[in-house]
Amino acid sequence: MKKIKSLIVAAMAVALAAPMFTACNKDDSNSETIQNLVSEYSVNDKMVAAQKAKSGKDEAVLLVAFGSTWNNAFLAFDATKAAYEAAFPNADVYVSFSSDICINRASAGENSDDEGNIVRRDYYEPRYLLHAIGAAKYGKIYVQSLQVIPGEEFAAVVASVKKFMNNGYIEKAHLDDEYLKKLSEDEAIFLGMPLLDKPDVDVPAVAKKLNDLYANEAAQGVVAFMGHGNPDSYDTFKANKRYQQLETELQKLNPNYFVGTVDMPDNYKENVLERMKEKNLTSGKIYLHALMSIAGDHAHNDMAGQGDEYWNPMAPESEDVSWYEFFSHAGYEAIVPTKNGHPLGLLELEEVRKVWIGHTENAEFLEDAYHSMYPEAE
Amino acid sequence: MKHLWSLGVALLCLVSTLKAQDSLKVGDLQEIVVTGTGTQNLLKNVPVQTEVISRKMLDSYGGKSIEEILAGLTASFAFSEGDMGSQMQLGGLGNAYILILIDGKRIHGDVGGENDLGLIDPHNIERIEIVKGAQSALYGSDAMAGVINIITKKHTEKGVYADNITRYGMHNDLRQHNTVAFNIGKFGSQTGFQLQRNDGWQNTAEEFAEAMVLTDSKNKTVNQFRNWQVTERLTYKPVRDVELYADGSYYIKDINRPQNGTHPSCDVYTYDLHYRNASASLGGKWYLSGEEGTVRRNYLSLDADWNKHEYSYIYTAKHYDYVLLQGEEYGDQNGEWFSVAMLPGQKKLQSDQQRAMAQLKGIFYLPYENTLHAGAEFRYDYLNAPDRTDSGSASDWTAAVYVQDEFNLLSWFNLTAGLRLVDNRNFGVRLTPKVSAMFSAGDFRFRLGWSQGFKTPTVKELHYRYLHLMGGSTFFNIGNTDLNPQTSNYYSANIEYRGRKVTASVTGYLNKLDKMIALVNVPVGEIPAGVTTAYLGDGSNNVQARMYKNMDNARTVGVDVTLSYQVYKDLTLTAAYSYLDTEANLYNASKDRMETVTIDGMAHHKWSASAMYTHTFCPRYKLGINLSTRGSSTRYYQNNGNAQPFQIWRINTTHDLGKVDKMLSYRLELGVDNIFNYVDRTMHPYHLGNNTPGTTVYGTFALKFNHGKRVKQHNVSIKSKTNDEED
Repeated sequence: MKKIKSLIVAAMAVALAAPMFTACNKDDSNSETIQNLVSEYSVNDKMVAAQKAKSGKDEAVLLVAFGSTWNNAFLAFDATKAAYEAAFPNADVYVSFSSDICINRASAGENSDDEGNIVRRDYYEPRYLLHAIGAAKYGKIYVQSLQVIPGEEFAAVVASVKKFMNNGYIEKAHLDDEYLKKLSEDEAIFLGMPLLDKPDVDVPAVAKKLNDLYANEAAQGVVAFMGHGNPDSYDTFKANKRYQQLETELQKLNPNYFVGTVDMPDNYKENVLERMKEKNLTSGKIYLHALMSIAGDHAHNDMAGQGDEYWNPMAPESEDVSWYEFFSHAGYEAIVPTKNGHPLGLLELEEVRKVWIGHTENAEFLEDAYHSMYPEAE
Repeated sequence: MKHLWSLGVALLCLVSTLKAQDSLKVGDLQEIVVTGTGTQNLLKNVPVQTEVISRKMLDSYGGKSIEEILAGLTASFAFSEGDMGSQMQLGGLGNAYILILIDGKRIHGDVGGENDLGLIDPHNIERIEIVKGAQSALYGSDAMAGVINIITKKHTEKGVYADNITRYGMHNDLRQHNTVAFNIGKFGSQTGFQLQRNDGWQNTAEEFAEAMVLTDSKNKTVNQFRNWQVTERLTYKPVRDVELYADGSYYIKDINRPQNGTHPSCDVYTYDLHYRNASASLGGKWYLSGEEGTVRRNYLSLDADWNKHEYSYIYTAKHYDYVLLQGEEYGDQNGEWFSVAMLPGQKKLQSDQQRAMAQLKGIFYLPYENTLHAGAEFRYDYLNAPDRTDSGSASDWTAAVYVQDEFNLLSWFNLTAGLRLVDNRNFGVRLTPKVSAMFSAGDFRFRLGWSQGFKTPTVKELHYRYLHLMGGSTFFNIGNTDLNPQTSNYYSANIEYRGRKVTASVTGYLNKLDKMIALVNVPVGEIPAGVTTAYLGDGSNNVQARMYKNMDNARTVGVDVTLSYQVYKDLTLTAAYSYLDTEANLYNASKDRMETVTIDGMAHHKWSASAMYTHTFCPRYKLGINLSTRGSSTRYYQNNGNAQPFQIWRINTTHDLGKVDKMLSYRLELGVDNIFNYVDRTMHPYHLGNNTPGTTVYGTFALKFNHGKRVKQHNVSIKSKTNDEED
């Protein structure tokens, strides 16, 4: 009997100790996260080191895009990489995605190529790649933003470069301070600005190049560009303004040009329609183009989507309604010019791509770049 | 005071001699229920109408899960199983508005508002009591559609008891149950184990995604899952009128999702779902009066319990997660939102909900036919969600006192009224009343009731903020600390007849809900700055920001009918029917506006019926046959189509072998669920009326060992062995 009693007392103690067994240990979770960080830094480091050893080059260009899961976008990034390799023969060129979801889905194979084969691509995060470029001790580094406007996403690029120069990593992933110091002394880290950086230089230049490409269309009807834009509360650096500036510049060349967005307040498709009506453009053709670096989901669905899935008669202004359906139902003949069945992104327009490459070539040393990234005072 | 008690007891004794219904002892054949009032009442005389699923019905039906039992043995419930647990509806309202109790204690933890019903071992249920409508005056938050109280089997008699139940069916469906219990002197121990697993199944490979119909989707209708649980309950009676207990449980559940999908927008998964649940409680009951074994005893009880429910991802492929790095050990990256590459096999905590509760309760049988039930409760909720809350964790508390009096004003008239006063950290003080009246005439009872219900905003609704990928869409859900409790007013009228062979009941109700919490689209700018870049989603859609708001209201109205007829000793017929109509002003997220609609998942008509036959052919063999059917009319949904009506038939046979008074007894069960192979092959993600995989054959083997106490089976009265293990 006594034994049984002791057994029961022991069992009771076990029941009461249950909370301790199951209490979450935050330190454990943090140490696992640190292991993961170290391991991912190391994966990137090894990959870049191997490339550097293979090429023997001492310069690196890191292209930072938001990302995509579309095969035509992967091809556009490939072509951009090739163009950069031609323009920077002494540099290894790396393409990175800042969107985790795009990286995850691209590696899982979200979309198929034009033959219907699922396409899987591994892309890497710019912060890990930049660390790896530093770990490989390239003598000269260009970080080029593939964003269109210097907005929210660009701010993240700036932050990651500053973090890099300040060796702001977990201890186990610290870079060689001497190397970073030398990079700074040599003024050998450059930040390339987004496409529409300088309002007085880049905006008119891009407007001219777009007009060179689409003057024919503008002669026949409206040409509307769909940009992304930043929502109101994080319109970083007031960069949304670039879309209006671009529209102004384009309209100097032909009043039939319009620039709208999917996310910038008061510049959605319905606002574009209002502006068109103000100019008495109430019918006829409307050519739709993406004002984004690549043609991914936004271009294919939000802009070019056709059919009932993209139309809602109860709420024509809903974000689920595509520009194609919206303008078609507003009495226009909507046209989405395509190449190989896909709308084109700006990186696929060689002349526009050259503007980006020019920004890399003329990129300023980080400190100055930081100061000049503000588009302008309000 | 003592005199008053004595007077009360004396009066009780007097009354009990006059009223046959009060002379019953615990263990008598007439059913005693506890859920409607928190006090013990005969089912026939309980002031708040209570539906009971008895042990006999459970044994005869042979259900593999609580879902199957509730869906098959009542007409009021509707189920659809999802990734995140069982989506249950009662009277048109979802899991979030149903309070589920195990032995009077609320189960803990939810994912997306759905309780995990795997916590309930279907083979350890003594009976189920269902009380519909608002019961918040007694039970507090969540009791708006009703309360389900699972009364578990307790082996409290002297000696040793052990059992093994193994049920196996198609789709590699295994349900395992074991109990070992012993009672020696003042001590008792009961240890339980249960395991539930199923490989899952796929009713269709068609899926509407990426604006077209895919024909090779790998999404299953029900995913592969496995859960197991161990429980321990210790009891100790230090003196005659005091009972103490300590219990604990530990539970693990894994849901495995397809790994062979090729469409990341719908069927490619980079992580599985993992749940861990644990509980510990301590408590006791102190009887202030009455004899052991009698029903009407004054007592005080004190319960303290702690519960934990963890929800984690287990990665199956490399996957970047956006994580807020918090801690000195991150050095220069402390405080940074960073992409962490999670590797296959790694686990990451999404939420850890913990709850500590203390409850003091007293039942007093007062003079003049009053039964007073009063109590006080304190509840503390803690949420640890490193990647889903602002600072990594959040908490909430609620304190409450309540009182209820059952007053048998006249021999044919009972009035029961209750009131709860709640004080919550966020919304402050709130009063919740209830009143019900019962009139008796022979074997007839008429009941009228009005009660209020409420649901406290959950810590998740208050503090969550996380990215949610659903199909091809990306949402950022944001908590709201300005939320008010959801509230309801429930009106019901019931007429019930309980004769010797026939019982029949008709209940009509109206439930009006207000301030219901919904996720409402808000401008994407509401997403906290600094976390936007990675949270902008996949670029496919603008990520949709949504915030919890007190937005919706609803009205449900319905009639429930139940019938039971014992044709002769061996044959009982039962039938249940439920009519429901709903109207709600709900926020439609895809259209960003309020709409007057039916509540998602509502069916106007649901029904179930069964014929239960048992016959003892010889002392060594008893046969049971249960033929049952259940069905539903069309279920209505705002989006993704209505669900087909269905009717499903089932047969379960039980075979009790061996003399029941021996130490060992055996039972075999063989059954066929969905005899006519009904399968709903509606494509994903449109709604299914029923997710049955079609005809399913199963068998159960049960073995019971009993040394030193009575084996109770199927109400067959038998002599017990004498207990020679007394100390």
